Amino acid sequence: MQLDWSILLGPSGVLLLQGARVTLQLAALALTLALILGFLFGVLRWSGFPPLKLVCWLYVEFCRNTPPLVQILFWYFSATVILPPGAILFLRDYGFEFAAAIFALGIYHSAFIAEIVRAGLNAIPRGQYEAAQAIGLSFPTTMCSILFPQLLRIIAPMLISEAVSLTKNTSLALAIGVTEITYEARTIDYVSFHGVEALTAITGFYLVLCVSIAGLGHLLQRFLSRHRRAPA
Amino acid sequence: MNWQLVFTENNIRRLLIGDFPDALGGVALTLVLTVIGIIGSTLLGFLIGYLRFTGPKPLRYAAAGYVEFLRNIPLLVLIFWAYFAPPYFGVTPSKFTSVLVAMVLFNAAYIAEVVRSGLLSVSIGQIEAARAIGMSGLQQALYVMLPIAAFNTVPAMTSRYITLLKNTSLAFLIGLAEVTEIGRQINNRLLVAPVEVYTLLLAIYFILNRSLSAGMRLFEDRRVFNRVFCFFVR
Repeated sequence: MQLDWSILLGPSGVLLLQGARVTLQLAALALTLALILGFLFGVLRWSGFPPLKLVCWLYVEFCRNTPPLVQILFWYFSATVILPPGAILFLRDYGFEFAAAIFALGIYHSAFIAEIVRAGLNAIPRGQYEAAQAIGLSFPTTMCSILFPQLLRIIAPMLISEAVSLTKNTSLALAIGVTEITYEARTIDYVSFHGVEALTAITGFYLVLCVSIAGLGHLLQRFLSRHRRAPA
Repeated sequence: MNWQLVFTENNIRRLLIGDFPDALGGVALTLVLTVIGIIGSTLLGFLIGYLRFTGPKPLRYAAAGYVEFLRNIPLLVLIFWAYFAPPYFGVTPSKFTSVLVAMVLFNAAYIAEVVRSGLLSVSIGQIEAARAIGMSGLQQALYVMLPIAAFNTVPAMTSRYITLLKNTSLAFLIGLAEVTEIGRQINNRLLVAPVEVYTLLLAIYFILNRSLSAGMRLFEDRRVFNRVFCFFVR
């Protein structure tokens, strides 16, 4: 067989670049949602009163034990039934499947982030929280200025690996027709019979993307622990 | 809610075993993929993890490269490589083989990392004692390092196996008739009950995964673990 790498410079390359843009957007938006929900549920489960804890436990267990792909399909096909008609029309203007993919991936990964946050909060000595309460800081101030700086330093490596995992899972969005980069590679295979070249290109893309996220994460962690002395 | 549309005898049979006499599918195929995937990726993972921990230098670098490469690409891309690329070279693999090969290669990379951390947890005294009573390198690995490392990694392995079970759902993207694909077909035929069909699918995966983790929790008891492990290694 004959490999023709020059197709990557033609229209196929443009398709892949468009796909790469969608992948990046999807990853960024889903990660934002996952972080917000994850921190919310993690803190609630750490501090909440029993019924709230039960709800958070159910949420985390359910999200972690079902495949992300099925969750994406669930939100995509069920949203038209669950959501009010106004919201459906609004979402349709911005790409319905794109919104469903963001929502599903955000929720799936928020469960993992919630567990990471809870584990991190449990790793901070209880005295820190009690001392902050004792000098009369409010709950939000305690969280933001006392616990979160320590928490971020502890959980940064795990958050980074979760971000990499989320980036890789954006490829599942092709199941509902989001035109991200894996979808475009499959299209190139179907249309122009240059699957190997397209697959090589997207493999390289994902490699570079994931390795740079991990690299940025490493820098972030160095930044977060800049005030700490090296462990003896 | 149209649950009675979903819970017909035909739908339930298809979800459980697919079109069995003609082709295995549904939950049964998901379980077959999971079991073969777990066995294959565990064996390969132990090999690669062991090589990365204590192999000759070129092999150690090769193992590290394998792990870092596969952990940074999505499983879906690997499945597409295994399914769309071989025809260009004149080989046409079945869908089942493609998915299985991709899943085993992908999960072996993660399991290799788990195994390596397990090997790091074996205390140096154990290895020195094994060497002191005259065990060969292979004996040290099989009878001392491996059992300790394997026991220490049971919880991490559990989460890898759950991920593997969840990842079998990706097989439907190349048209293998496992439970997600059957659910999608049922949804496409009914058209009026998407919430019910996909809730049922989520519930099926939830039950499978909880059973898997409950089963793995048995191995966290050292007596149970030793009995099973000795059965295989001796």
